[in-house]
Amino acid sequence: MSELKRIDPRGPRFGAAITSVISLAGFILSQETWLYGAPISILLFVLFAWSVFYPASHPYGFIFKKFVRPRLGDPKELEDPRPPQFAQKVGFGFSILGMVGVLIWPVLIPISAAFIFFAAFLNAFFNFCLGCQMYLGLRRLGLIGK
Amino acid sequence: MELNPALLSGLILLALSLAAGIWLKFSTGRGKRVSTHEIIDLSKLKVKKGKSQVKTFGKKATLLQFSTEYCGQCPGVRRQLLELEEKTAGLLYLDVDITDRLNLAAHFSVSQTPTVFVLDHRGEIKSRISGIPRPGVIQSELKKLGAL
Repeated sequence: MSELKRIDPRGPRFGAAITSVISLAGFILSQETWLYGAPISILLFVLFAWSVFYPASHPYGFIFKKFVRPRLGDPKELEDPRPPQFAQKVGFGFSILGMVGVLIWPVLIPISAAFIFFAAFLNAFFNFCLGCQMYLGLRRLGLIGK
Repeated sequence: MELNPALLSGLILLALSLAAGIWLKFSTGRGKRVSTHEIIDLSKLKVKKGKSQVKTFGKKATLLQFSTEYCGQCPGVRRQLLELEEKTAGLLYLDVDITDRLNLAAHFSVSQTPTVFVLDHRGEIKSRISGIPRPGVIQSELKKLGAL
């Protein structure tokens, strides 16, 4: 996490758009029977873990660079990668909740999918980074360290 | 046509998220009057501008922004306010990183970044804007102080 290469802010938003579609599908499917939601919870967990631990090789980034960015103009400005990376950690936390749902308590599957959808949707369509906004509040409550 | 309850709950979630997004867009970034008459103590704030510590306020007004490392929108707001500072005589712009200064966040009840305080010529907090300031909000707050 030491490299501070500035990034195209539309990349994380593009990823969030995909995440919001996946998590909404997971939320709906898991209401039928939790078994339908389980694969999606696992998928979300893998995607979030990937972006927290190996952000450079993440498939969202690859798809964005290969197919989306060439169709867009140059970004107006580049962004510090730390805020979206922090938001991915918050998402990762919620996807762990989903995994607990898969393994122990299925009711957590739709709950985790709903939270992930909410945050990803606000990020993708309103450019509002819920995880980043929560950062200061969480720090002040002493729930997270630096 | 009968709506599947699972699909319906999905639609409700979508509608709630949409409502929350619209509400956030409308509620953040507006100017709020502050009537605590608190005067900022620059010797305690210890904010740097360039290389030296700031000791005096802007002749007409000062904009004080609180940022954190993890604030995605802060650099954009900083750029915008720096530009305004350059264009406006007697206006001083300051940016404080409170990532490691949570006591400041607690003291001023800053729970989201960016938060911008508008100070008068004596450094008294006149108003605050939480979230990304909407277009024209900073300007209208400055006009109230006669600084624009």
